[in-house]
Amino acid sequence: MTPSPFLAGIRSMLPILTGVVPFGLVMGSVTASAGLQLHHSFFMNFLIFAGASQLATVDLLVKQSSLVVTVLTGWIINARMLLYSAAMSSFGKGKSLPMKALISYCITDQSYAVLMANKDRFESEQDQLKFYFGAALAMISGWQCSVAMGFAFGNVAPESWSLDFAVPLSFAALTIPALKSRPHIVVATLSSLAMILFSGLPYNLGLIVASLTGILAGAFLTKGQTE
Amino acid sequence: MITDSAFYIAVGLVGLGTLTIRGSFVFLASKIHINRRSRMIFSFIPAAVLPALVTGMVYFHQGQVDWLAGKERMIVVTLAAVVSYYSKNMLVTILFGLTTLYCVTQFS
Repeated sequence: MTPSPFLAGIRSMLPILTGVVPFGLVMGSVTASAGLQLHHSFFMNFLIFAGASQLATVDLLVKQSSLVVTVLTGWIINARMLLYSAAMSSFGKGKSLPMKALISYCITDQSYAVLMANKDRFESEQDQLKFYFGAALAMISGWQCSVAMGFAFGNVAPESWSLDFAVPLSFAALTIPALKSRPHIVVATLSSLAMILFSGLPYNLGLIVASLTGILAGAFLTKGQTE
Repeated sequence: MITDSAFYIAVGLVGLGTLTIRGSFVFLASKIHINRRSRMIFSFIPAAVLPALVTGMVYFHQGQVDWLAGKERMIVVTLAAVVSYYSKNMLVTILFGLTTLYCVTQFS
């Protein structure tokens, strides 16, 4: 019997959740440490639904950064989703507005990666979409539950465990897959050094300047290249 | 202390902007074409933003291990990045980093 594409999507996402759950636990504990309530956490999970930018948003809010810097940082972190959106644009053709919105909302690093790795298993685009929604449902459930758990239990962790350190550790783990080539490694190194140089800028603008420095360096290094 | 208004305005704007980013090409579907050069430059975004975030959080943290000049977190996050490269697992990376930092700070 051929397994349902939707269930296959859920099943394919389960191993990836081993990496999502600790990140969600960190997110929940950081949210609690910031003095926010559980409903704030669910609201943010629902509306943003993108871990790295959620962590950055809470971090910048705690530091009393300006609204412009906080929002721009979130957008810049999530700008990579433009690529995913471009790659998935064919799924939007001929669909209703609510369906397009649902496809868009479910785009995450994980759901995109799982879909791209498995789409050839399904002949019709409809089955591919069912698979994608199954994977996305597992992702949303895993994220919401792990954040709630982190919120509930993160607070009781002793200070000596340095649970706050799990935030940069999570980002470090997310950085590794992004270092796909030598120019990407140079970009990462330059943006880190630029962050040290520009950290004194007001309103945490150093992050944006450092990121733009890295991206421009990448563009310069690959001038004339398209692959 | 984060006020309710600051939280809802910031999260609302980040959320709506993120949905717009996610939906950009899905909604425009057949109307625009993104060229390969742009795709390549977009691929530098996570490689630039995430390390800058990590550096900002770790480099300026004032640690407590004198013989490491208070930079134990910088050293541990670098080692954790190596572990992440080989394990390709976030759980392993986080557990390694937290355990190592605990050992360094408690037993130094």
